[in-house]
Amino acid sequence: MKKVLMLCLSAVLFLSACSSSDSDSSTSDAGADSNKVTIWAWDPNFNIAALNMAKEIYEKENPDVEIEIIENAQADIVQKLNTGLSSGTSKGLPSIVLIEDYRAQSFLQAYPDAFYEMSGAFNKDDFAEYKIAPTSVDGKQYGLPFDSGVTGLYVRTDYLKEAGYTLDDLQGLDWQQYIEIGKKVKEATGKDMITLDPNDLGLIRLMIQTAGSWYLEEDGVTPSLAGNEALKEAFEIYKGMMDANIVKPNSDWSQFVANFNNGDIASVPTGNWITPSVKAEASQSGKWAVAPIPKLSVEGAVNASNLGGSSWYVLNGDSAEQAADFLGKTFGSNKEFYQQLVTEIGAIGTYKPAAGGEAYGKEDEFFGGQKIISDFAGWTEEITGLNYGMHTYAIEDILIVEMQNYLNGKSIDDVLSDAQAQAEAQLK
Amino acid sequence: MGRILEKFNYHGLFFKMFLVMVASIVAVSIIITYSTIHMSERLFLDTFSITNSKVIQQVKSNFETFSNSAAAAANEVQQSGTIKNYLSKDDTTSLEMSKDYYNTHVQMDRAHLNVDDYELSIMITGMNGRSFSTDRNYWMIDEETLAAHEITRKMYAEPKKLLYQLEQESASPMIVITKSLIERTTDSIYGAFYLSIKESEFKKFYSSFTSEGNDILVINSSGQILSSNRPEMIGSTSAFLLKQAEALEEQDGYKEIAWMETNQIMLAEYLPALDMHIVNLIDKESVLDNLINTKTIVFSSFVIVLIAVSIVFLISRRMTKSLSRLVKQISSLPKKNFDQYVTVTGSYETKQLAYAFNDMLDELHNYVEELVQTQKKQRNAELAALQRQINPHFLYNTLTSVKIMVQQGHKEKAGNTVNALISLLQHATGNVHETITIEEEIENLKSYVFINQVRYGERIQVSYFIAPDCSSLHVPKLIIQPFIENAFFHAFNQKSEGFIHIIILKEEDTLICEIIDNGDGMQIKSGHFLPDSRRNRQLFSGIGVRNVHERIKLLYGEKYGVHISSNPGAGTHIRLVLPVIRSGNNSKI
Repeated sequence: MKKVLMLCLSAVLFLSACSSSDSDSSTSDAGADSNKVTIWAWDPNFNIAALNMAKEIYEKENPDVEIEIIENAQADIVQKLNTGLSSGTSKGLPSIVLIEDYRAQSFLQAYPDAFYEMSGAFNKDDFAEYKIAPTSVDGKQYGLPFDSGVTGLYVRTDYLKEAGYTLDDLQGLDWQQYIEIGKKVKEATGKDMITLDPNDLGLIRLMIQTAGSWYLEEDGVTPSLAGNEALKEAFEIYKGMMDANIVKPNSDWSQFVANFNNGDIASVPTGNWITPSVKAEASQSGKWAVAPIPKLSVEGAVNASNLGGSSWYVLNGDSAEQAADFLGKTFGSNKEFYQQLVTEIGAIGTYKPAAGGEAYGKEDEFFGGQKIISDFAGWTEEITGLNYGMHTYAIEDILIVEMQNYLNGKSIDDVLSDAQAQAEAQLK
Repeated sequence: MGRILEKFNYHGLFFKMFLVMVASIVAVSIIITYSTIHMSERLFLDTFSITNSKVIQQVKSNFETFSNSAAAAANEVQQSGTIKNYLSKDDTTSLEMSKDYYNTHVQMDRAHLNVDDYELSIMITGMNGRSFSTDRNYWMIDEETLAAHEITRKMYAEPKKLLYQLEQESASPMIVITKSLIERTTDSIYGAFYLSIKESEFKKFYSSFTSEGNDILVINSSGQILSSNRPEMIGSTSAFLLKQAEALEEQDGYKEIAWMETNQIMLAEYLPALDMHIVNLIDKESVLDNLINTKTIVFSSFVIVLIAVSIVFLISRRMTKSLSRLVKQISSLPKKNFDQYVTVTGSYETKQLAYAFNDMLDELHNYVEELVQTQKKQRNAELAALQRQINPHFLYNTLTSVKIMVQQGHKEKAGNTVNALISLLQHATGNVHETITIEEEIENLKSYVFINQVRYGERIQVSYFIAPDCSSLHVPKLIIQPFIENAFFHAFNQKSEGFIHIIILKEEDTLICEIIDNGDGMQIKSGHFLPDSRRNRQLFSGIGVRNVHERIKLLYGEKYGVHISSNPGAGTHIRLVLPVIRSGNNSKI
């Protein structure tokens, strides 16, 4: 009987052992590690590449710090930041994030406690002045300025020559003169002077910044459209270009690039970040030059402007100090690093001491031996600093529609005052 | 061999029972296990196919929603005059063109709203070389490649149809929905509509319903696999699957097919709007293996069978063992005169059987004993009756002797003879069952001897040697008399005179009576017995010498009786062995 009992018992044990599934996969690692710095940025060829270089430099000296770089589309970063910050938790958010200057204020002002003040991490006087306003609030520095959106007028010297112009004729231009040159070029070569996407008013932004003006008042919230002389002139210039029939429209980035790579366009007034795209068409080497950007005719306008550009921000959290240290020691003070950035990626920073470096003075054969980096660095310092405020893109959406109305014959004053009314209604 | 056979015979019952039980247990378990597995397989397949056809309906509706949206977007693009202008007009002034570009953008945004729920991009190309894309980064293909691409060729081949095509040259496979843009009035093609969605996005319509061994394939009407949760299959063409799917759509339910060296359960559904087939393939083995753990089931039934068999073994052995022992005991019983009880052990049934058997033995013994007693009594009664018979010849002869004495004037002698006869008769006619003392018996003998001496003269002398401690002991009546009688009439036929000694003594717990004569003697034949005298005229009672032995044995048992030794010419020695009886009332007599 005892045997039978034993048999039953062992059978039961065996069966139960069989049925127990092998589960419990333990979840390890979740806690915030102050030695781990996570970074979000977009554009693998530019921002991510720069980050990888910085990481390599920093980790050599701080081997115990782990830096993780995560690539996200800019739209995704904006959306995730908004979601994360408005829910009030830093969980799932990175330590460092790249934010476009036009959007920076909307984040800094909407979530004042979320960002780590960087004043101690670097010397803001080392950076181009125009970068300070968008990256600070009430004199407190939150962002570490990164790439320069300094603009230039990329021109096809061969087309200009056909129309009887040299690069010297393009110094200190205003936009009206630019249109005149465009007409001549079109006459001489049949090529359009400029290519524009009707859904992107980057050119307007670029123009009004030469005059130190913006869509918003200096407070960053009040729309400043009706009665904005710079904006009014910019609109008129825009229409003038259309009327002069020197514009080749495009519908997106690739058509934009294709237009000048194909040689259909005589000039491209835009940010220095277009350089790699221009140089992508190697057959045009030597046919390009970069002139200072034309200015508006309003008083105080300069032949320097900015388009785009972004800066680094540190979010409050366990690893905020570590993150600030990382930025301060690389993007914030390392001259060598900036030389490397220019040489390897072609990225022009806004760190002024770097401009004296060897890489900045290098001549570029593609641009006929012009020292374009050095030129851009010079123009960077001339850019008028602006508070881009909180609603740049919201207002631009209104202006895109109103621009079409203007092109269709509506008077400029009505266009701007209607836009002003819409903006006020929308942003209230 | 013989021993084994014997052993088998002894355990035969156990073996038979055990074998039958084991065979039935094993058979039952195998049948139950098999039917359990089989039934759960059927049940599982049925429920699985029901669930999966629901799933397929869900997938179908996902696809239909999507294809409706895509068709709506295509229609909107087709119907937009702005887009037609954009794609068909030649370059005009900057202003005109700028407006066209702007309005096209607005129109395309509006068309895109139809498919805003999905991650995809819409691209249009025109005969004038213009194009527009809502997201050029999504589908990285340059216009020249696209114009020469097979999907464009196929699209122009069937201009009025919304075609779902697979484009595999990009970094990730794309499903491209194409349609020619046609000017209605002239029926001329002015452009092309491409709606591209990454296969990985397209997959989302069904991928949540798939799992390992449960695959979904989307195949078009030429058998090409456009999309599948198994990426390695995308782009391949299987006419076999297409044929099976078309056949299956005619009927309801599922069927089992052999595909890629495995057994698959196949469900299919036709998507008329997309002209495609959704095929659901379920790898029977991997799915069933996950669901029904055949090994565990088989193992558990094996363990159960093992337990059952061991229990059956123990119980049936216990039962048959006691039964076999009982049978063995019973069969050996006749050798032991039926006086050995069987051992009462084992199960309740065998115990009861053993009890009943023992009771029966008891009854049998009682009955036999009773029978023996009855026979004894009968014989006793017969002997007693014999004993009571006084031979009339004896009386006649004795009385004749007395008459002669009286006639001769021997009055005193005649009186003594009559006295002896009276005493003799007194004893003989009393209760035969009573015992008398030795003393009384000797008196009787003396009377008898006296009568004989009166009749035949005194040539035979009788002497008595009685041990003093014996005279009060009891013996049955007329137990010695027949031997004296015998000696008188047979021992002295040749010799004319002699003597008879009667010796009575006690030897331990037996009483010995010896009657010794010095007469003729005889040759003892078998049976130790004196020759029966039929000349019963001289006999006193019906009892003969022969009967004495029988009577003693009947009364006292085997160890008592009569022993005779004799030699011709030397006399006869008779020895009676009797028990020592002290009181007179011996009930047995």
